[in-house]
Amino acid sequence: MARYAMVIDLKKCVACHACTVACNVEWNVPPGFARTKVASTGAIGKFPNVMESVFVSQCNHCDDPPCVKPCPTGATFQGTDGIVAVDKDLCIGCGFCVEACPYDARHIDPVTNKVDKCDFCSARLQRGELPACVETCTAHAKFFGDLEDRSSEVFRLVYDRGAKRLETDEVAVGPNVYYLGTEQQLELVAARFAPREPRMPKAGDWWSKVVKPLVFAAVGATFLGQAVAFFYQLWHGEEQFED
Amino acid sequence: MATETAKFPEIPEKPVPLSPQQAEAMAQKQIKKHHVAIILLHWFNATVWFLEVATGAALISSPEFRFAPEWYIRMVETLFGTRSNLLHFHIAVGLAWIFVFAIYGTFGFRTYLLRQVYRKEIALDRDDIRWLMVRALRLLGRSDEPLPPQSNYNAGQKLFALAVYSLVPVIMITGLMMTFHWGSPEWIRAAIVAHFTAVGLIVSGLMVHVYMAAVFPEEKPAFFSMFTGKVNELFAYRHHFKWWREYKLEELKWRRKLELAWARTNGEAGAGATATGDEMATSEERNTTFTEPTEPLASAQERPAAERGSWLRRALRSPNDWPPYAAGFGLGLTLLASFILMGEGLGASSAFVRWTAALLGAVAPEQAAASPFWGRYLGEGQSPLVNFVVFEVIGVMIGGFVSGWLGGRLKVMVEKGPRISNRRRYALAFTGGMLSAIGARFARGCTSGQALSGGAVLAAGSWIFMMAVFAAGFAGAYLLRRDWT
Repeated sequence: MARYAMVIDLKKCVACHACTVACNVEWNVPPGFARTKVASTGAIGKFPNVMESVFVSQCNHCDDPPCVKPCPTGATFQGTDGIVAVDKDLCIGCGFCVEACPYDARHIDPVTNKVDKCDFCSARLQRGELPACVETCTAHAKFFGDLEDRSSEVFRLVYDRGAKRLETDEVAVGPNVYYLGTEQQLELVAARFAPREPRMPKAGDWWSKVVKPLVFAAVGATFLGQAVAFFYQLWHGEEQFED
Repeated sequence: MATETAKFPEIPEKPVPLSPQQAEAMAQKQIKKHHVAIILLHWFNATVWFLEVATGAALISSPEFRFAPEWYIRMVETLFGTRSNLLHFHIAVGLAWIFVFAIYGTFGFRTYLLRQVYRKEIALDRDDIRWLMVRALRLLGRSDEPLPPQSNYNAGQKLFALAVYSLVPVIMITGLMMTFHWGSPEWIRAAIVAHFTAVGLIVSGLMVHVYMAAVFPEEKPAFFSMFTGKVNELFAYRHHFKWWREYKLEELKWRRKLELAWARTNGEAGAGATATGDEMATSEERNTTFTEPTEPLASAQERPAAERGSWLRRALRSPNDWPPYAAGFGLGLTLLASFILMGEGLGASSAFVRWTAALLGAVAPEQAAASPFWGRYLGEGQSPLVNFVVFEVIGVMIGGFVSGWLGGRLKVMVEKGPRISNRRRYALAFTGGMLSAIGARFARGCTSGQALSGGAVLAAGSWIFMMAVFAAGFAGAYLLRRDWT
């Protein structure tokens, strides 16, 4: 078993977007969309005390991923190695998971109309390679490894160097992308890119709160009615109904 | 209508009490209610509903939305191997369903959808509304008023049909939206909820439909009519009086035409031959037995050889085909034996492929070896004929010959429909043979190798193939029906 994690050192990142490019090329992500994105907090403060930080986002492969449960067909699932992946064959493109993700790490691919997201380059891992974004990172700011392996670099960075998860008291789902940076920098990032509450679209509420009970009631009532009729029929014998 | 009623005073306009003799005679007489195409369509539809509801229930696995218990979802997943097989099966069956009903709708739009369906299956008349009220009161024990007369379908059936006809398009369209990703995620979400709602509502009605047909004693003749196409006249009189009346009027009209024609052919010979059609009908009406001459049963003495001895001897020597269920069971046992003894299932088309490969290898070895298709068979290191299927097909021919010989059915003939020429039969057989050979290579197997053997080991591809075969056969049969009847 493994528990894959990524550590991103925001002090080292030079915001060159090479990770996005490498990922888009590797996975044929259409222009305008990305599985991993580079963003900025924007300049904060007043000259000369100005501060700005870069932020790199992607799927966090959460311990308790909020995107898995609402997927109607079971296309989104979490593997035993912690990787949250999508079975494209099963995806119908309903986007319940897109709305649920607190990190907005998912998008609907405009070509296939199915959901797309980072899967830590599972296919590359199986070949013994690193994720494309880690391998290509020009500043060596991205680290990838197994948190259950005490000798791994990510283990050292998380447990010795104190890399932090980006979560809030409200949304604590155990993200597995950790960030390194100065304290101020991480505060700034947390303020600007904090995870949001998972959203349930209206259709989902209708489905689980109105339609499902309604269908259960209709089927159940029919079933009960028939059971009564059946026992009535047994009780009175069939002759009464026969012509 | 009024004039017709005047012509047929013997057919009552309102249900009248029947004498025991009349009731007995009517109970014995079977009248046609359903066309064979409708029966086939009904059972095709029933199969599709069963498969789609069974697989659809397992497809919704989200803990937020699922309604089937987890063990059921696991069980169906295991049956299909992977969830993706499950989804593809659900989609394939659904598409076959849409395809068949699209054909039905296209060919029979005017006849069925407009005239038949609307008038007979949906539109509620005054009697229907009364029927619903009386039925409800009777159920509550507040009334023992007789139910108003009904047409082919009673008001309850009509209401259900109305729900089905309005919800089925919703199911089809939302299914297509999800399959082909039509529309934005908002639309797909609405589609999946609408799909579920429509199916759920129909299923609750479907339960009544199945209960009424299979369990409720009053409607038993209706159930059997979905196999035989016929109901007894008494049932029609009691439950579908208006339809019964139409049927009788039509029957009398034809009877009168026949009488007239009969009278003309016989000239003055018949006693009442000078009577006009109308008088004929009334005289006919008086001895109102309406019995048709029954086919004389072939007496037992006529076929002694095949009828003597043990059941096995009789089965082997019978000039008739086995009943299909017995033959199917026997075929299943043969398939099982093939799996146990040979380690592979039955096949047919690949034997022909191997024969062709061997022929090509003998005639044009280089060209055949260079072809990616034929080269595969020639590159095995031994003759392509060294294969179970090749010998199996030879065995089938010998076995078929022996079976025909034992049953005394050997003769040289062209098997064809009664109205077509031998030449047309040859042309059709050749065309159909070409098409099925091409199709068998597309599907990597024919009805034997793909549908039978693959279906027996629950291969998803084989089941999809089978669905496609039935759907295409169903559609094609319509076009070629005159070649066989």
